[in-house]
Amino acid sequence: MTSPLSEFHLAQPRTVKEAIAARLEHPGSRFVAGGTDLLVNMRRGISGPDLLIDLSGIDELTEIKTNGRGVTIGSGVTIATLARNTLVAARYCALLQAAEAIAGPGHRIMGTVGGNLCLDTRCIYYNQSEWWRRANAYCLKSRGDICHVAPQGQRCHAAYAGDLAPALLVLGAEVDIAGAQGHRRIPLGELYVEDGRAHLVLADGELIAAVHLPSDPPPSAYAKVRVRRAVDFPLAGVAVALAASLANVSSLRIALTGTNSRPFLLAGTELFIGRPIDEKLLQEIDRLVQKQVQPKRTTIVSANYRRAAAAALARRMTAKLFAERMA
Amino acid sequence: MHASGPQSKGRLLKLKLNGRWREDVVAESELLVDYLREVARLTGVKIGCDGGECGACTVLIDGEAVPSCITLAARCEGRHIETIEGLATQGRLSRLQRAFHEKLGTQCGFCTPGMIMAAEALLRRNPTPTNSEIRAALSGNLCRCTGYVKIVEAVEAAAGQLHDR
Amino acid sequence: MTADPATDDRLPRRGVPLIDGVEKVTGRARYTADLDHADALVGRILRSPVSHGEIVRLGVSKARALEGVFAVVTGDDCPYTYGVLPVAMNEYPMARERVRYRGEPIAAVAAVDAETAERAIHLIELEMRRLPAYYTSAEARAPGATLLHDDKPGNIEREVHHEFGNWQQGFATADLVREEKISCAEVNHAQIEPHACLADYDPTTERLTVQSVSQVGYYLHLMLARCLEMDASRIRIVKPSIGGGFGARVEVLNFEIITALLARSAAGKVLMRLSREETFLTHRARPQTDITLRLAMRRDGRITACTCEVVQRGGAYAGYGIVTILYAGALLQGLYDIPAVKYDGYRVYANLPPCGAMRGHGSVDTRHVFECLLDRMARDLGLDPFAVRRANLLHAPTRTMNDLIVNSYGLPECLDRVECASRWHDRIGKLPDGKGLGMACSHYVSGAAKPIHWTGEPHAVVNVRLDFDGGITALTGAADIGQGSSTMVAITVSETLGVALNRVRVIAADSAVTPKDNGAYSSRITFMVGNAAIDAAKKLKAILVDAAARKLEARPDDIKMVGENFCIGSGEQASLSFAEVASAALVDRGAITVSGTFTCPPDAQGGRHKGGAVGSTMGFSYAAQVVEVSVDDATGTVTVDKVWAALDCGHAINPLAVEGQIQGSVWMGMGQALCEETRYIDGLPAHASLLEYRMPTIAESPPIEVHIVESHDPYGPFGAKETSEGALASFPPALVNAIANAIGIDFNELPVTPDRVMEALIQRRRQARLASALKAAT
Ligand SMILES: Cc1cc2nc3c(=O)[nH]c(=O)nc-3n(C[C@H](O)[C@H](O)[C@H](O)COP(=O)(O)OP(=O)(O)OC[C@H]3O[C@@H](n4cnc5c(N)ncnc54)[C@H](O)[C@@H]3O)c2cc1C
Ligand code: SF4
Ligand code: FES
Ligand code: FES
Repeated sequence: MTSPLSEFHLAQPRTVKEAIAARLEHPGSRFVAGGTDLLVNMRRGISGPDLLIDLSGIDELTEIKTNGRGVTIGSGVTIATLARNTLVAARYCALLQAAEAIAGPGHRIMGTVGGNLCLDTRCIYYNQSEWWRRANAYCLKSRGDICHVAPQGQRCHAAYAGDLAPALLVLGAEVDIAGAQGHRRIPLGELYVEDGRAHLVLADGELIAAVHLPSDPPPSAYAKVRVRRAVDFPLAGVAVALAASLANVSSLRIALTGTNSRPFLLAGTELFIGRPIDEKLLQEIDRLVQKQVQPKRTTIVSANYRRAAAAALARRMTAKLFAERMA
Repeated sequence: MHASGPQSKGRLLKLKLNGRWREDVVAESELLVDYLREVARLTGVKIGCDGGECGACTVLIDGEAVPSCITLAARCEGRHIETIEGLATQGRLSRLQRAFHEKLGTQCGFCTPGMIMAAEALLRRNPTPTNSEIRAALSGNLCRCTGYVKIVEAVEAAAGQLHDR
Repeated sequence: MTADPATDDRLPRRGVPLIDGVEKVTGRARYTADLDHADALVGRILRSPVSHGEIVRLGVSKARALEGVFAVVTGDDCPYTYGVLPVAMNEYPMARERVRYRGEPIAAVAAVDAETAERAIHLIELEMRRLPAYYTSAEARAPGATLLHDDKPGNIEREVHHEFGNWQQGFATADLVREEKISCAEVNHAQIEPHACLADYDPTTERLTVQSVSQVGYYLHLMLARCLEMDASRIRIVKPSIGGGFGARVEVLNFEIITALLARSAAGKVLMRLSREETFLTHRARPQTDITLRLAMRRDGRITACTCEVVQRGGAYAGYGIVTILYAGALLQGLYDIPAVKYDGYRVYANLPPCGAMRGHGSVDTRHVFECLLDRMARDLGLDPFAVRRANLLHAPTRTMNDLIVNSYGLPECLDRVECASRWHDRIGKLPDGKGLGMACSHYVSGAAKPIHWTGEPHAVVNVRLDFDGGITALTGAADIGQGSSTMVAITVSETLGVALNRVRVIAADSAVTPKDNGAYSSRITFMVGNAAIDAAKKLKAILVDAAARKLEARPDDIKMVGENFCIGSGEQASLSFAEVASAALVDRGAITVSGTFTCPPDAQGGRHKGGAVGSTMGFSYAAQVVEVSVDDATGTVTVDKVWAALDCGHAINPLAVEGQIQGSVWMGMGQALCEETRYIDGLPAHASLLEYRMPTIAESPPIEVHIVESHDPYGPFGAKETSEGALASFPPALVNAIANAIGIDFNELPVTPDRVMEALIQRRRQARLASALKAAT
């Protein structure tokens, strides 16, 4: 036996409605999709729900639908399915690249879009065994009083490190949230707040039903830095979507992951509209990124590196997308 | 919705294991890897890490290679699980098993069952993978002995055999 | 026998798959955790939450009272230390009074299931009084630091000071002197199989059977007898399949003794399976090391002197520490001809998991620094890296100044092979921006010529049996841990006897059946056990030939073997099948068991200086490699594009396995050089998972082209030497040299992770800006 998981029930609803009802009925319950994040944490004793509500049997969540206004990707679509989808490959390059860069092949088969967007934030003081965290008096994010990363502060700086979110952000995605009161739709960026302890704005019982993408996105790309070429979470991940007319920017979006407690769109890129893509502009992008990312000592690799690498990626990818457009 | 009354944390699980249907009572919190090793006694499924990091526990669920140590057994109802024990037919090694043996794709052998299952899923999906497709498909399986060189060669050899036929 | 030069040089040049390969590819191989444990209790260990402290109170009554708990043991249950060197056993299986690192075992339970065992662990009450803790060598050595061990002033486990030759003169007469200070991170073996142990105690017969992941069943046997105060004859150690070792399991490990203590206390069977985190905490790997090396060189590249200071942060207990710090100095020699060497080594205690032996034991970090410095000096002198190595070659047979014997020396050919295969001279200096080539050399012992437990017995014994069925069974105590040693034994026996490989079975490492063996460490098995196997097979062959001669009424000298048949002349006239000869041989005497032995002659066992036995061996393997890299200057990522590795293994008994071992060791060197590192946060491991301990995946692992060089060692079995460690140590320096070639930056820290590369690049840009600003200002 491996260390046993603390006992729980498994509910396997067939509809979103049932899932939400079960969640509201049992305050100690959690949704589980692929389980590649949640079960790892549960095995470490980080989270011990008494009921798991399995979303994988809900057919309505597993579809990829297209219509004139764009594409709708169900939250239960697996990362592998997403990466094999020809439409995604053709139109949403950043999304494809992000999907292919997630974890290992086995995780991609089980892991889902919804689970990836709702991925728990990560920290070297948090993603540890029960013995470890207890020996270290726990921390603010779970069961403890202080943050070991920023002991003076009152917030948790654990980093969000999902790969899909930045790609979806630059592609202009919106999320469809289902709750007891029905559905609501918000821009993806509004799903997150800068708080490692509670980075999602989902209310009790709410779940992500789907992601909507507009039909005509500009060319895009995603890249991440990590020590190994597979399995590793992004130390920093950057997505860029760039439209240019002649040699000038007509739209530019840059989004980041792995550096903050939420994935976010870089603010201020609209100021670049109408400007040529030259070294000066790339330097400004670099500075903008360095200013807005807030990596903290939540990984073994230094925070400075994550900042510098994020900026370097943003420059490089913008330049590359531009060069490809010109080619 | 499957009933799961608060009293009963166990349930009857019916699944196909290496081609044969079977039923067992499992706890709802039981991991697939523990079910396979402790209940079905298929100890070819290995455990190398504390959850989801090494690929030693890789098995096929409906033909796809996944880590069984972060999969709940109860979620495998009605599915086909294949382990390394199911690959050899009537004692004859499968093409991948033979290639791993002959090309020394195995040294200590601990990563081998998981590695072969990941390669098996690849070859079923893509009988003639390129070198980089092989590397991508096996990138979740760690090996500490071989430096992977002979693992890649073994998969290439197995794919070649398939191709020849 | 003692080592006679082997003469048989007519072996077929094929590779053979592992004799236990089929079990491995079918999942039938049983590793410790796979053994039948249906009726076994589950063992769990309570580990220290603090780095350094006194145990004020340890209350186990609640745990003991819990239903389903069958045994609770603590330090009180074992007042005996265990360890490697008789002079340095300062560790208890479970802490007594004092703990010295976070994760040190304090108590353990055996219960009906894992849940109960874990609950019992939580019921144990522990109060500690904290003591100051030290996590670096410098802190631990600082004046006034609390001592980890009262008898070790300055927290120094061992100092070594060796001087050979007139190094002062060497420096005085040199054209160039250069010094580098380089720091190498602590790394871990990270074999994929987590630690496990199954112990079964029968209270009626008072016998204990232990199956474990040990590389050296014999040490485990000794230590269990010591710690459990048992007569060694009542203990049986059986080795199941083992999922890698790399040195992690050379020492007896605390959980093995704890499992046995639990089994005896519960009067039954206990299975202990450590988590990956606990496997990391058990550690015993390569220490964090700071090295200051100074070399003196003539204009033509000839080294005239070398001084080296090594400081190893050894962790909380002695373990193999003394051996490691001695190896680090001794193996400065044996690769090149160095006229003068001064070595100062310090093994330091710190409040971290104990370090131990790891592949390339002791040699890797010093070799790294040496080869980096050689390259930098070559650059200073405008010499080619290959030329500098060639200017300092040894000439076999010879003895180094510290009395290491070199009977065979394939390094020159290794150099030629990788130089040519990598097209070094066509490509060096002509590669595009960000790409580079680097090279380096290394060597390693083929078994310590002086065993740790000196008993006067031979270094290795192999028994070979023949019975009525005509089957030949080789019995060896040597542990096959995945390196293929049982296959090597099968090959040497079958080749010597001239019989088919599948006529030979190997039974390995069961103390009730197989002769004692000193174990799988220091790459001793092929050399020593291989020689013993050949000796045994020769004895059996003589018996068979005599029997055939008797039956054919011929003289033994006239008997030839054709295939497995024994005949006179070409075999046309008279020929006997193997079965016929076997039955003839069994007449009157019945089943035959012959014993083959190998002993290193005393003059190979090392010089008379203190510590001189460490490093002594009958033969060194030699390696050279070239590494090609690309460096991404935006992200600091280093990619290894290709490796060319040549190793002189004397003779490749199984070329397939030799290749596999070379690739595996080169790749392990790559992990250490590029991405692997253990780090601690106030003594808590930050790396104790296979996600944070970043061993390379297949995705970034390069092709490794292997060149086998055969120098035919006069004493090796068929001329063979070791193959599985020697190539490791040349990877890290070859990589660092290649990066310097690619981007012009010398790295003085291992591993060369992207953040370190990035920092160096940023710093260089900053300096360039500063320089141009200064220039503009003047
Ligand atoms: C070794 C390893 C490496 C990894 N590397 C990466 C990596 O490089 N990049 C990366 O992005 N991820 C990585 N992951 C994490 C994970 O595999 C993926 O992010 C995956 O997509 C998560 O999806 P899931 O369905 O498995 O999530 P689950 O574990 O099922 O769920 C994660 C969280 O989301 C919640 N949730 C799931 N679905 C919904 C929904 N529809 N609505 C609301 N909440 C929901 C769950 O309650 C849970 O809190 C790695 C994991 C491992 C074990
Ligand atoms: S950032 Fe601070 S509070 Fe958040 S997980 Fe890390 S240590 Fe805990
Ligand atoms: S044991 Fe399942 S991934 Fe390691
Ligand atoms: S063969 Fe040992 S881990 Fe792969």
